[in-house]
Amino acid sequence: MIGKLVAQDVLKIKRKGIWFLTFLGPFGVVALQMVNYGVRKAYLLQQSDDDWAYYISNVSAFSPFALILGIAILTSFMASIENETNGWKQLTALPVSKMAIYLSKFTVLVMLLFLSSILLALFSLSYGVFLNLGDEIPYLELLKYSIYPFLASLPVLALQLWVATVSKNQGIPITVGVFGVILSYSAYVLPDWMIWKWPSLLNQWNEPMINVLFGLTFGAILYVIGMVDFMRRDVK
Amino acid sequence: MEYIVETNQLTKRFGKEIAVDRVDMRIPKGEIYGFLGPNGAGKTTTIRMLLGLMKPSFGSVQVFQKFLNEDRLNILKKVGSLVENPSYYPHLTAYENLEALRKVYGIPKSSITEVLELVRLSDVGNKKVKGFSLGMKQRLGIASALLHNPELLILDEPTNGLDPSGIIEIRNLIKRLPAERGITILISSHLLSEIDQIATTVGVLNKGHLIFQDTIERMREYSKQKVLLSVSDREHAWQSLVAAGIKAELHNGMISLKEKSDEKVAQAVRSLVHNDFSIYRVEEEKGSLEGIFLEMTTEEKSL
Amino acid sequence: MIGILGSEWYKLQKSKAIFLLFAGPIAGLLIGLVVDINLLPGEAINKWHLALLSMNLNYALLFLPLITGVFASMICRYEHQAGGWKQLLAMPVTRGKVFIAKYLLLVTVILGMQILYLGSVFVVGIVHGITDPFPMVIVWKSILGGWIATFPLVALQLGISIMWKSFAAPFAVNVCFTLPAILAINSDRFGPYYPWAQPFSMMYIGGNTEDVFFIPWDQLLTVVGGSFLIFFICGYLYFQRKAV
Ligand SMILES: Nc1ncnc2c1ncn2[C@@H]1O[C@H](COP(=O)(O)OP(=O)(O)OP(=O)(O)O)[C@@H](O)[C@H]1O
Ligand SMILES: [Mg+2]
Repeated sequence: MIGKLVAQDVLKIKRKGIWFLTFLGPFGVVALQMVNYGVRKAYLLQQSDDDWAYYISNVSAFSPFALILGIAILTSFMASIENETNGWKQLTALPVSKMAIYLSKFTVLVMLLFLSSILLALFSLSYGVFLNLGDEIPYLELLKYSIYPFLASLPVLALQLWVATVSKNQGIPITVGVFGVILSYSAYVLPDWMIWKWPSLLNQWNEPMINVLFGLTFGAILYVIGMVDFMRRDVK
Repeated sequence: MEYIVETNQLTKRFGKEIAVDRVDMRIPKGEIYGFLGPNGAGKTTTIRMLLGLMKPSFGSVQVFQKFLNEDRLNILKKVGSLVENPSYYPHLTAYENLEALRKVYGIPKSSITEVLELVRLSDVGNKKVKGFSLGMKQRLGIASALLHNPELLILDEPTNGLDPSGIIEIRNLIKRLPAERGITILISSHLLSEIDQIATTVGVLNKGHLIFQDTIERMREYSKQKVLLSVSDREHAWQSLVAAGIKAELHNGMISLKEKSDEKVAQAVRSLVHNDFSIYRVEEEKGSLEGIFLEMTTEEKSL
Repeated sequence: MIGILGSEWYKLQKSKAIFLLFAGPIAGLLIGLVVDINLLPGEAINKWHLALLSMNLNYALLFLPLITGVFASMICRYEHQAGGWKQLLAMPVTRGKVFIAKYLLLVTVILGMQILYLGSVFVVGIVHGITDPFPMVIVWKSILGGWIATFPLVALQLGISIMWKSFAAPFAVNVCFTLPAILAINSDRFGPYYPWAQPFSMMYIGGNTEDVFFIPWDQLLTVVGGSFLIFFICGYLYFQRKAV
């Protein structure tokens, strides 16, 4: 049943520019580095001995809040597809549980964001190779800095999906998203408990894995809270 | 005759599809013009062009004998409209919705309470419109259209979603307006019975063509009754009638006479009696406007 | 025109969107209070500059450009919802005037937000016990300059918000243009020409000419004015053509 719902949701996001955004996000992050390195490559290469590591750190300076923004945009898009067509009414009249409806939306979003993360790894790799940063390509690091932020951002995804699905006015989730971006931009001054800090993989123990584990745990918790609230409410 | 609305060869094309095709609409002053047509005929598209919401692909619109593309603002000051679904601001109350419009028209506040009274929304005037039922929204739409005391009222399917008493109420309101306020009304519908009860002039649109435009009386004439004869040995009876030069058809075991004047009917009866057929019954079949409407719109021929 | 403006203000004022006005200044206030300005590096002539600096980065670089888009979507939202455009344009108004009224309303709201932000800066200064004289340049350059720098952004976002019903789409466009500003402000070659970097450049008060962030006024105004004209005219023409 959930498979059919997911298939339906994938169908619904056609021609809405969602696939394009999924591609644009990681591309944009790498494109910023193209501009960065394009303008002052010599200077940037001087900055460290390990050019690959320095390059990855440059890329991942932007990826966390590109991710947060992407989440805000995609969740709001998903919700407005239903809002604009009175789709919630139609969906809930189908012989499926509201739980499955919510799970399906979440699944599609996770798929899209995961795809984005993989694309980010691919794009970073390609541009890194193009820059000729050295023969020892740190594949693992590249993958790690693409996938970890995504996993650490799951609580933000769960929160945004919750807000987007229960708000009639999509200005609310978007505004929440704006604040999320600002918070994640100031990640280095944020306390460790703030979910918007997690995608930056920073914490006082210097152990990115902690953020990933927190992300998975609190992502699940927030997901359940959002889902329960969604099920409890009347359909708009 | 003084026409309030006059279009010339009005045409609207969407890509290859022609939604409105060379329509010459004429609405005389003080009339209630029933604009009839099945779904997708192009009624709403025509109305959008009358209001300048859409530009015609070809042709022109004159309202109050002024060209719309030249005098749009002056014309719209005297036009009230309700296009398709009623428009409203969900976050405002009914009163506030009208207030937002009133500010643009720059008219006195008293007109708000007046129109709310007119459409019987005074009780819920302070309720947010997002909590309104479909019929209440429809009334608010009509109130918005009447707010600035227009001389021409354009209503696109105004009774959509209203309950029977609401329909009657709105119908009576619409009927009163021309006499009381000298308003000319264009009202569209896909229901002939609806138009039949209020319109004084009718225009029938089908697939973008205006296939009929005349008074409601002329429309009714087309639907004049048929005269049916029930006789013995109907095959031969019919043949004898035709042989005698009387236009008749054999229909469901009855003979139907095409010419319905008293004289012709008498002639047919006389001829049958003369030829020794027994006449069991002579009856009139009430032809309905619906039938005519269907005939017009399915056969797609001009009347 | 007065009528349309009055009506636009009425509709906005009755919607909850107006509370958004306080979001930015409050966020700025919190950041300003949290960051200990005495720990900031650099010897400033005037501590007020430090207070502003600590708050500006987030506010001017990200918040201001992003929130203009949200506001633009908000004031188009109720028109998109239930045939508002249809009703509005069937009234004796020209589309041009409607567009201008919406635009004026937006920039007025942004001005209100800038003034509230000035209040936040002031409170932060008082709380931190700044005794230096309050530099009026903050008012002229940061508050008014920053406001003017949003003019082109507002024009673009208004056009896009009229075009698309959804909130997410105009926001996505806004984000795509705003993010590169983070890089642009660090570049003395691109920074001055990038419209989305202008609110930050305007609101920043560095002082001397050698400063990387220093951009001459007339250049700023050319960029802001030029991009404003382009975005405004495009939006205006688009609205003339839009089928409702
Ligand atoms: N914006 C548009 N783009 C493309 N085609 C359109 C557009 N608006 C209307 N049409 C087409 O024009 C034709 C007439 O539509 P219109 O809405 O005028 O019909 P109508 O007579 O009002 O029907 P109804 O009784 O269903 O309201 C339809 O075939 C429709 O598909
Ligand atoms: Mg219609």
